[in-house]
Amino acid sequence: MILKTPEKFTRQFGKAESKGYQSPEVWSKVTGKAVYGIDLTLPGMLHGKILRSPFPHARIKQVDTRAAEALPGVRAVLTGAELENRPFGIAVEDELPLAADKVRYIGDEVAAVAAVDLQTAERAIKAIKVEYEELPAVYDPVEALKDEAPLLHDNFPGNIAWQREVERGSLSAAFTEADLVVEERFTVPAIHPAYLEPIACIAVNDPYTGITLHTALQSPDAVREIVARVLKYPLSKVNINGPVMGGGFGGRVYGNLKVYILSALLAIKSGSPVKIQLTREEEFTAGRPMIAAVIKMKMAVRSDGTILGREADIITDNGAYSAQAPWVSKTLSERNDSVYRIPAIKTRVRLAYTNKVPTGQYRAYGNQAANFATESLIDIAAKKLDLDPLELRLKNCVREGDTTVHGLQIGKCGLAECLQAAAKEIGWDRKKAGRGYGLSAAIHANGSLVFDKNFRGASALVRLELDGRITIFTGEQDYGQGTHAAFAQIAARALDVSPVQVTVESKQTKTAPFSTGALAMRQTTVGGKAIQLAAEDLREKIFKAAAELVGEPVAMENEVLRSISGQELELAEVAYHYHSATSGLRMTGEGKFVPAESDYDESGYGNISLTYSFASHAVEAEIDQATGELIIHRLVAVHDSGRIVNHLTARGQVYGGAAQGFGMSCFEGYLFDQGRVANASLADYKIPTALDLPQIDPLFIEIEDPAGPYGSKGLGEIVMVPVLGAVANAAADAAGVHVTDLPLTAEKIYQALAGWECEL
Amino acid sequence: MSYLTVSTLEEALTSLSDSSGKARVVAGATDLFLQDLPHSLVDLSALPEITVVEEKDGLISIGAAVTHTAAASSSLILARARALAEGCSAVGSPQIRNIGTIGGNVINAAPAADAAVALISLGAEAVLIDVNRETRQEAVENLYWTYNRSLVDSSKEILLRLLVKPCLGGEGSAFTRFAVRRALALPMVNAAARVKLENGLVKKVRLVAAPVRPAPTRLIQTEELVINQPVDKDTLKRVEVSAAGEVEVRGSQLRCSARYRQHLVGVLIARVLKIAADRADPGKAGD
Repeated sequence: MILKTPEKFTRQFGKAESKGYQSPEVWSKVTGKAVYGIDLTLPGMLHGKILRSPFPHARIKQVDTRAAEALPGVRAVLTGAELENRPFGIAVEDELPLAADKVRYIGDEVAAVAAVDLQTAERAIKAIKVEYEELPAVYDPVEALKDEAPLLHDNFPGNIAWQREVERGSLSAAFTEADLVVEERFTVPAIHPAYLEPIACIAVNDPYTGITLHTALQSPDAVREIVARVLKYPLSKVNINGPVMGGGFGGRVYGNLKVYILSALLAIKSGSPVKIQLTREEEFTAGRPMIAAVIKMKMAVRSDGTILGREADIITDNGAYSAQAPWVSKTLSERNDSVYRIPAIKTRVRLAYTNKVPTGQYRAYGNQAANFATESLIDIAAKKLDLDPLELRLKNCVREGDTTVHGLQIGKCGLAECLQAAAKEIGWDRKKAGRGYGLSAAIHANGSLVFDKNFRGASALVRLELDGRITIFTGEQDYGQGTHAAFAQIAARALDVSPVQVTVESKQTKTAPFSTGALAMRQTTVGGKAIQLAAEDLREKIFKAAAELVGEPVAMENEVLRSISGQELELAEVAYHYHSATSGLRMTGEGKFVPAESDYDESGYGNISLTYSFASHAVEAEIDQATGELIIHRLVAVHDSGRIVNHLTARGQVYGGAAQGFGMSCFEGYLFDQGRVANASLADYKIPTALDLPQIDPLFIEIEDPAGPYGSKGLGEIVMVPVLGAVANAAADAAGVHVTDLPLTAEKIYQALAGWECEL
Repeated sequence: MSYLTVSTLEEALTSLSDSSGKARVVAGATDLFLQDLPHSLVDLSALPEITVVEEKDGLISIGAAVTHTAAASSSLILARARALAEGCSAVGSPQIRNIGTIGGNVINAAPAADAAVALISLGAEAVLIDVNRETRQEAVENLYWTYNRSLVDSSKEILLRLLVKPCLGGEGSAFTRFAVRRALALPMVNAAARVKLENGLVKKVRLVAAPVRPAPTRLIQTEELVINQPVDKDTLKRVEVSAAGEVEVRGSQLRCSARYRQHLVGVLIARVLKIAADRADPGKAGD
């Protein structure tokens, strides 16, 4: 560089330091230089705004857009009547881009406008006259399943969006043999991922290249396919360019499809780029929070603590449309069954339509809601049997070589070690007086072999640039988890170069390899393996080309390429040699990681993932008896995520995931008033602040797992899972009573202590 | 819209009268964007005479444009009006405390503003001047009209300073609050107390809780109950029952039920009284 740089800014990462490697992207974020989707503007861009239903359930009699169209500055007005009435969806096809004949929640999209500025768009929205005929509405999922409940969708009788019943092993035998049966009803509210950047999208329609969406997504390829299908565009004519993502946490796997589809339709209709950006209020009222759930759970236990069976009847609250709620309901209803050796299970889960905000997904896919129920029930059983909750867990937890009740094949597994380490670190054997202690355990998959059987793995390209640097091309997205730093490290290790030499490109669906996305904790394990393979392929190509160049074999050692006679070569020399020999190609390694097919059957039995990550958390807490305030002093988070690629980002994942776990345990949750979201702002939807968090101590049980790259596996979603059970159990241990309705607020705990009738 | 940052009080009063009711006074302006923006704004935050904390004529004088951060870290307030330091450090978040002012906390007239609750427990008086250059002095609790509406008309009148009698020997004060989270949350209840002890018995006491009514509310019956009593376990138990019984509160879906809020008033009043009484220990010099 021509500009001299002060010494302190030129820190290099050698191999020894690479476990704390920070990608340069981190600095652009913390210094405020990163350009997020909400920051983007394009020349000639219009601003889009959506007219939403003020009623929870109503028939649309008439939409009059004439006044809006007549406003100066309005360039396009779109209503449902102009669109083909063909539903689309993610898991269930139950949505239209704009409501045609009926609205089903307060916030349902009725019309959309593009105008020269936001104020004009807002005025135009207000100028659209809609005549509604109000219909009876239903808000409670339990009520929605009753015969007399108003029906939301004619083609979904009984308001059932999705359901499943499964029985494995003999449940009746389990309950007959049991010395103790514990039973409880747990409730979990809808939770918003509360990413800091609201969803924003600029759609550009170009006759040559088609539709380009400038929006940050965890699974751009999946969204691209849906948008192309809805618009009836050829797939190659729909592309997504991702700016920097301001948080995702599962909420941006599919993001908000309505925003992408409507901005594209407005761009087509107006002939100009159109930006739609959700307000925070729209994020809460028309976003896609994770489903609320009512979980009735019953467990059969022998007096020695052996778990014999478990029965669950679960009702999840879909809201008006489905998004990923069926898949989240499925994971919620079964993943947790594989934490312990449970020989018999019976589960019924029903996803009910209600006249409320539609639901999507959040970090851990409902596994944390099930953890709250199961782990609470285990402590209730332990207390009744006068057994140590740690011993009860160690007696039942899954171990390497097990096949679980749903057919999951447990490979490398440090769950028992996690439990022991969490208990030891929190002081299980030297508990302080007046304090409560809680433990919990979790399993989470590392990508899915069965979600899309044709895409079980991942692919990547790793390219040697002419200056000797390395570029990774991947479809795997980084939105703060540190995935790309890990990928740089994995490639750097395979190539024996420093990670600072490696850049990761993932933002354009047009050029990046296909990926199912940043979901199901698959990126490090599955995506990282593809990068390792691609980097190894490139390494062999480098060696081959370098050998041709110097006429003798070469090898890489301590980041230096050297022939057997000792001649040193720059990677740039090899790159240029290949470049000229091929008249312009750049040397590229290909990585294709295709895991073997699973034995997964029709009933959902079988191995669903390449491997599994495990965790146990322990919490020390105290209750203020006079107010019910839960004071959490410490969380010990022990994780088996294989060999840790990067301790800095791994710890970061634990701090963030634990904070979200505390949020869901003690603070967060949608509140509704007749279908209206009562806390639709970050002032009223309370996520915890730094002051509300306890000391969080991450520990890693580093058992090398051959399934992932260099023995590593996933650590993302799982962090949130065991927080719920550990907090609930510590609270119950301190209070002497279990609160089974999340979040565990001071008022609910006090009510339980005082024996008040529940007033909430 | 116009925005004028004034450098003298005269300039402020002149621009208010020139705008004939269309301008209003701001200082920190942290709540301004939550409301409809007025025609023009007169920013007092740089007026030297209202941004100082000083001891004058035996009183603590706190300029209306003193920020919560400045008040919470003032050695004078920490030593002689501890409840106010505690109330100010409970407001909003560090960013809001760095900009928001004590005067704004009072004139904004939120029913459970932390600094205002502390000021009323301390018996603070407000000094005001209007566009006719007339000054008046008023007890802070008398400045409230209704929910979020002050009797002080910011298009005509400026709050200059708040006067607090310092807590000297035998006197102590304290503030506490209970909220859903520890920052950026309106309280379910906040409470403050000022107490004077003689020979271990309560001689003077002011107990304030909010949100109970539009203004932070003194619990007169409970105050009478503790006069001439020692602040011991038995008294505190009675204070808890009396305070909860003395108030009628509302519940809200976002914060808590009325029954729980009423219970918290009792618990928190007993707690602040105890802390204030401990600080009033005659062995120590005031707070």
